[in-house]
Amino acid sequence: MTNDTGDMLTPEERAAFTALPKTREPSRLAEERTVQALAERGLLIDGRHRGRLRGRIPLIAAGLAAAAALFVSGIVVGQWLGSHAVADSMAAAQHETALEMAAAVQRTGSAYVTALAALSQLADSSSNGAVAQGREAALTALYAAAYELVQLAPDDPIAVTIHDRLDDLRREQQTEDQQSVIRHVVWF
Amino acid sequence: MDVTEQPRGSEPRDRLLADRVSHQGDEFAFRELYRRHTPRLYAFVLRLLAGNELDAEDVVQDTWIKAVEKLSQFRWESAFGTWLLGIGLNRCRELFRKKDRNWILLEEEVAAVPCEPLHDRIDLEAALTELPPGYRTVVVLHDVEGFTHEEIAERLEISSNTSKSQLSRGRRALRSRLSSAPAGQVRVP
Repeated sequence: MTNDTGDMLTPEERAAFTALPKTREPSRLAEERTVQALAERGLLIDGRHRGRLRGRIPLIAAGLAAAAALFVSGIVVGQWLGSHAVADSMAAAQHETALEMAAAVQRTGSAYVTALAALSQLADSSSNGAVAQGREAALTALYAAAYELVQLAPDDPIAVTIHDRLDDLRREQQTEDQQSVIRHVVWF
Repeated sequence: MDVTEQPRGSEPRDRLLADRVSHQGDEFAFRELYRRHTPRLYAFVLRLLAGNELDAEDVVQDTWIKAVEKLSQFRWESAFGTWLLGIGLNRCRELFRKKDRNWILLEEEVAAVPCEPLHDRIDLEAALTELPPGYRTVVVLHDVEGFTHEEIAERLEISSNTSKSQLSRGRRALRSRLSSAPAGQVRVP
């Protein structure tokens, strides 16, 4: 502190000011509200993403329709599987592997989102290491799922956009990690 | 302490993230930038607003919107966090000004309190919330955040002499409140 007036702080007062906390977390909703407000103003829309989307609106509409169809068929599959005896289902699944896999994707997808939501509830707990580990695992799974989606439907603009963006971010992160290692070597 | 000093360790990362937000509207980059700087911004704004959490969250949101809008104009001549605090301070000033145009010069009669050391157990945070906004702002900027009188004068658009007199009065008012606090109600900050 500089330029104090004659009315100086005592060492005890100075210590009391120094001891005041300099950081504090706002509510968890504050970040989401801010992101939403920025997105509404067009300040958080990725330019490359927007450029791609602009020329692909018909394809995206088709993709959304396909996603809706997949969702409805998933419900039908679930009802179909649930309405048959286990033995019948197993027998049918051997001949209907695509239907079985679609149902498995639906189940595991729901489990993935449910687990992430539960992990999110623990994000403020003291188990920061475990939460970070879960987040890392979720991101890795997300990337792997995006890759498989592109293999499944190379022309799906939504899948391609998600995969490309994640791939870019992974490459940037790897580059930064490598750079930090290099700096570390130089300094020490 | 000169708060405009560049924190060398964090500045390259801030700059990289800010560039992504500014040029690409990258939400991931924004979220990282937000999480790096919001705890300090929120603590600062909350203190200026006397602990009003709702107003403080609104100010933090407005601050980030303004910051993202002006990111391309930021010259990186000061630390990103300091720039952000400046925007938050301006937003708080607007709130104060709505209530009283002369908020910074608003004075109160402060009883003369012997300049004795404060108690070991004081509720400094609570006493700060009771100060008029003009005193509180200068005390927080100078004694908590480490701004110089010249920096305070520039940011609040007042003279450095006004900053000094407001600090002196603010400290007296603070001592008055702390000395009158019942011992049983005080706590270590």
